[in-house]
Amino acid sequence: MSWQPEIDELRRREELARRMGGPEKVKRQHDGGKLTVRERIDRLLDKGSFHEVGAIAGKATYDDEGALTDFLPANFVMGRGRIEGRPVVVGGDDFTVRGGAGDAAIGSKQVYAEQMANELRLPLVRLIDGTGGGGSVKSLEIDQRTYVPANQGWDWVTDNLGKVPVVGLGLGSVAGLGSARLVTSHYSLMVREISHMFIAGPPLVARLGQNLTKEELGGSDIHARAGAVDDVVDSEEEAFERTRAFLSYLPSNVFELPPRAACEDDVDRREEWLIEAVPRDRRKVYDMRKVIAAVVDTGSFFEMGRKYGGPVITGLCRLDGWPVAILGSDPRFYGGGWTADAAIKVTRFIDLANTFHLPVVNLSDVPGFLIGKQAEVDGTIRHGARALAALYQARVPWCTVITRRSFGVAGAAHGNHVRLHYRYAWPSADWGSLPIEGGIEAAYRSELAAAEDPKALHAEIEERLNRYRSPFRTAEAFLAEEIIDPRDTRPLLCEFANLAAPLREPGMTGFAMRP
Amino acid sequence: MPSKNVVSEIAGSVWKIEKKAGDTVEAEETIVILESMKMEIPIASPIAGKVASLAVTEGDMVDVDQLIAVVEG
Repeated sequence: MSWQPEIDELRRREELARRMGGPEKVKRQHDGGKLTVRERIDRLLDKGSFHEVGAIAGKATYDDEGALTDFLPANFVMGRGRIEGRPVVVGGDDFTVRGGAGDAAIGSKQVYAEQMANELRLPLVRLIDGTGGGGSVKSLEIDQRTYVPANQGWDWVTDNLGKVPVVGLGLGSVAGLGSARLVTSHYSLMVREISHMFIAGPPLVARLGQNLTKEELGGSDIHARAGAVDDVVDSEEEAFERTRAFLSYLPSNVFELPPRAACEDDVDRREEWLIEAVPRDRRKVYDMRKVIAAVVDTGSFFEMGRKYGGPVITGLCRLDGWPVAILGSDPRFYGGGWTADAAIKVTRFIDLANTFHLPVVNLSDVPGFLIGKQAEVDGTIRHGARALAALYQARVPWCTVITRRSFGVAGAAHGNHVRLHYRYAWPSADWGSLPIEGGIEAAYRSELAAAEDPKALHAEIEERLNRYRSPFRTAEAFLAEEIIDPRDTRPLLCEFANLAAPLREPGMTGFAMRP
Repeated sequence: MPSKNVVSEIAGSVWKIEKKAGDTVEAEETIVILESMKMEIPIASPIAGKVASLAVTEGDMVDVDQLIAVVEG
């Protein structure tokens, strides 16, 4: 006698699990414009690569003879698979089973996925579509008791931020613990219209007198602008595409180094227009994203957090095929001055680069912190100081290109000043403690007050000081190491990426990324 | 006709009005220039069309998300 009957029984149970919440619930999922968790996994992973773990975990019903009559799978599907040939762990909520709520969960499955990613040192993708693990008050009647809450698996969830790349995809309405799982990741996004995120959803909030739709309370654009998630996309397909792209820049874990890709682009490519990228008129802005696109390997710029912390641009890119973290200033947001949210964005980004050993290129044009009442109200200096701490804690190779302004504390944060100044300045560079335009009133207050014609004196002082403003004078004193032709930026950055590659050190860092 | 609200993504003051109500605009063409951190920050039309109304005048202080203009495509 072989064990065939048991294998048949196993296959039958697996088949029942694949029905998820049943045809009616699956139809509802599709009618809502959403894929089922199994469709999502199939589309995310390399074709046919999914190896499920715990498929037959769920709630079974038996007849009097002990034969299985029905089976409702647990509402979390997980396992291993491949993305672009590299192994990953994937786990997703099944909204067709009790809306993904905790009372239909077998909590240990979620924890297992986190632990599996951690111990096998594999990237983790969370497909989030449900209330997570929090459960509902219905559990009171089932358990006939209540419990002290605990965030199940959070030891692994937190530890994973320092060990393996974690991507959180918001693919439905998520609340409570599900929301926390979405944002506790290195890269998170929500799909417009089908995805919402709340601490608590509209029915609970209505009790506060706030009658809001899901979209009004926790729509994807609200969270992308608040920086709660990194990005918003228009479709699930796009979400999977961005997940694959994000992971391609990162190592599978911190004990490895980011993988080099083939480079089709010419490392010596010099874009002619860069010589006039920065307007001579200091009041005029320019498009830093265009500059970034011109200096990195063609098509390799992967921006993250576009809607948040506008003065700072953050993304991943390749230089001669090497993955690099790229920071840039956007002069169109406060001239590139750091707001509180820009500083928070910088901190997270440096932590990400440092955790996964990505060398950093910083295209910097920072007139300082944003000033004014709102900047003080926002606690800008605290968040800015955190960004400084992240910068001085970072150990990855770092190269700065000062494209224009560098003033004050935030301007000085273009690099760690005690490390080798691997930096360049474009001829448009303009730097100091304070810009002349704003600094004269402060520094020459008494002279201006005593002057018969303060306006004329101001102009005279400004003219005098402007003579000292040339970056060549700074370079004479070797306070700026190299002034370069902007068209040489790409060749020089590719040289940096090649020099930096052997300096990258695998292993855990003292400060892993915090969500 | 679809109309589009053009809002400011930053706080600043209105330095210059480039287009008035009734003017035609191209996509990405500047309607208003704000001043912030001593820089001129152009606020551009997201679509081609006609400026239906302007919500600011030169010298106004604007906040994040404040309506600048309405453009009809």
